[in-house]
Amino acid sequence: MVQLYNDYKDHADFLTVYVREAHPTDEWQMKSNVKEDVCYAQPKTLEQRVAIANDFVKRFNYPIPFGIDDMSNAANDAYSAWPERLYVIDENGRIAYRGGMGPFDYKPEEVRAWLAARFGAVQHPEAKPPSANAASSKS
Amino acid sequence: MWLGIGLGALLLLAFTALSFMAGSPKDAVYMVRYALPYMHRGHLKVGDTAPDAKLLALDGTRHFHIRERTGARPLVIVFGSYT
Repeated sequence: MVQLYNDYKDHADFLTVYVREAHPTDEWQMKSNVKEDVCYAQPKTLEQRVAIANDFVKRFNYPIPFGIDDMSNAANDAYSAWPERLYVIDENGRIAYRGGMGPFDYKPEEVRAWLAARFGAVQHPEAKPPSANAASSKS
Repeated sequence: MWLGIGLGALLLLAFTALSFMAGSPKDAVYMVRYALPYMHRGHLKVGDTAPDAKLLALDGTRHFHIRERTGARPLVIVFGSYT
């Protein structure tokens, strides 16, 4: 998503909405989270949720603008967001793209396709492998 | 009796499929207990007016509404959490 944001932030706005934890330690904790040291209980207060959100932003130097759902989970419920989902809202305030339910149907490439159709594709040059000439000149 | 056996077999099959999907029988139980109650398809569809909601900024003090971020340009909303 960060790459997508960097590619299209001059054309579209982005907003991360932080919702109820997907795999907290006191519910369905994932082994992968333990390995990555992402161990948090389900927040019981808004302050706890804010603290975890800030940890996330700091750890990954996450640049996308951020908003946190309150403990009534109003945004989450309105958008059926949990555990993760993507939307695009057009300039008229209407839903232009509604992604599938994560994790299996969470597809940033579909958002990229929407943005590309609207603003053009952003190409990323592939990293070139070291050339044979450079390798042989060193030997 | 046969109905009971059939239902039992069906339940066992469903649990096996769920265990496979979730990663293990333990994960399947946790999935049913902690995830399914919160997984909703919802009713929104393309073309609907995007719902508004009040959000809190990272500083923990300022509030804003989703609708404040719409209007000038398309808005990509990424819903998720750290875990």
